[in-house]
Amino acid sequence: MGKKTIEMQIADYVMKYQDSHYRLAYSIVKNSYDAQDVVQESITKAFSSKKSLKEPDYIKTWFYRIEVNTALDFLRKRNKTVPSDEEMLTGQDSGEYDEYQNFDLQKALDELPVNYRSVVILRYFEDLKIEEVAEVLNENINTVKTRLYKALQKLRITMSDVKED
Amino acid sequence: MRDQKLDQLKKEYMDTPIPQGLDALVRKTLRENGVYSIPNKKVFRKLGAIAASIAIVFGVFVAEINSSPAFAKSMEEVPVVGNLVKVLTFREYTVKDKDYEAEIKVPQIQGLKDKKLENSINEKYLQESKKLYEKFMAEMQEMKKAGAGHKGVYSSYEVKTDNDTILSVGRSVLEVQADSYERVQYDTIDKKKQVLLTLPSLFKDDQYIQVISDNIKKQMREQMKKDQNVVYWLDDKEIDPSELFKQIKKDQSFYINKDGKLVIAFNQFDVAPGYMGAPEFTIPTDVLSNLLVGNEYIH
Repeated sequence: MGKKTIEMQIADYVMKYQDSHYRLAYSIVKNSYDAQDVVQESITKAFSSKKSLKEPDYIKTWFYRIEVNTALDFLRKRNKTVPSDEEMLTGQDSGEYDEYQNFDLQKALDELPVNYRSVVILRYFEDLKIEEVAEVLNENINTVKTRLYKALQKLRITMSDVKED
Repeated sequence: MRDQKLDQLKKEYMDTPIPQGLDALVRKTLRENGVYSIPNKKVFRKLGAIAASIAIVFGVFVAEINSSPAFAKSMEEVPVVGNLVKVLTFREYTVKDKDYEAEIKVPQIQGLKDKKLENSINEKYLQESKKLYEKFMAEMQEMKKAGAGHKGVYSSYEVKTDNDTILSVGRSVLEVQADSYERVQYDTIDKKKQVLLTLPSLFKDDQYIQVISDNIKKQMREQMKKDQNVVYWLDDKEIDPSELFKQIKKDQSFYINKDGKLVIAFNQFDVAPGYMGAPEFTIPTDVLSNLLVGNEYIH
């Protein structure tokens, strides 16, 4: 630590985890070209805001945060509404993402609002801790737990470890 | 235990096809951002696999305590404070193992005429370091018994300011274990009067708490406005109000920098997400001038 420049640390990180970050972008924007754009834009944003990374050990949550913001911006620009918390789980219209739904990540998960989907993905697929998910999404821990719980309920998944860690 | 359905979902997620051009795209983007010596993705993967297999095998454990002050002194640069008062490394606790590492430097202040003050500060430094070392050793034994784990504890000190009037010594503790956590503590001594300065002692009354807190909030907002990746827990409506920054503590950690400005320090996670590190705020003196007891320290 300390010997490498911050630029090199970012470069090492994105080279190493490019696949993970592509998958995450894809899971949000649901389209390969858009996901690649998101990855590209996230890297550029990471370099231009490298000053906000005060603690290189936290590059992971920091980069996830940049990427999630970038991907959500992407959806907004495309006039896809990013549903707010409460309007979400009731009356989901599964047609919303139709034109981008080219691949078959499980339908139920796809139908979750993006706020809920990203919590599940970060926690269970990217294996972030609850606290890290909270940092990435800039939410408090309880909000993340609630979303996780509701999302799993919606997916009819029974979990015994939601409350823990 | 995990639900099977979740494993199935994860598997599908992990099977998301990665476009062939992704690696080239990432390299191109890195070059556009001025990085030319780009590490190889494949090398990382191999190293990752090797590191994972090595992690199971534990190395020989070596504990080394440099209890000789003379030896420790020769290893460390000795910042000379004034002619008489100085800070040096009194002792160093070092543990190096494959998966466990500790480096704990114990500072000692020398040359104060008030020996009682000197002793009480040095005793505090020693006791806190000892505690840190013992806690580390105990946790290491626990983790070894459990069969796996990594842990690192790094404690060091830094002379923040050293002039005719003031000596500010900062001590930081960084604990790394999957996550890392940094705490920073400062001691500031008036070398002439030979007293340890506290935050309340600098001000006429308690108004400083509000004034400093308001200034910090202003600085937080300005920084967040400039860069969306800067985050402080301040106004976020979704965050539990009890976790938001409201005001500094009466005896909030602080030091006085070389320019004679008051710097307020927070531990990591106190007021911001972990990647923000341990935040510090320099308070402009004009904000404080009416509240200060004098301009001897802060100007």
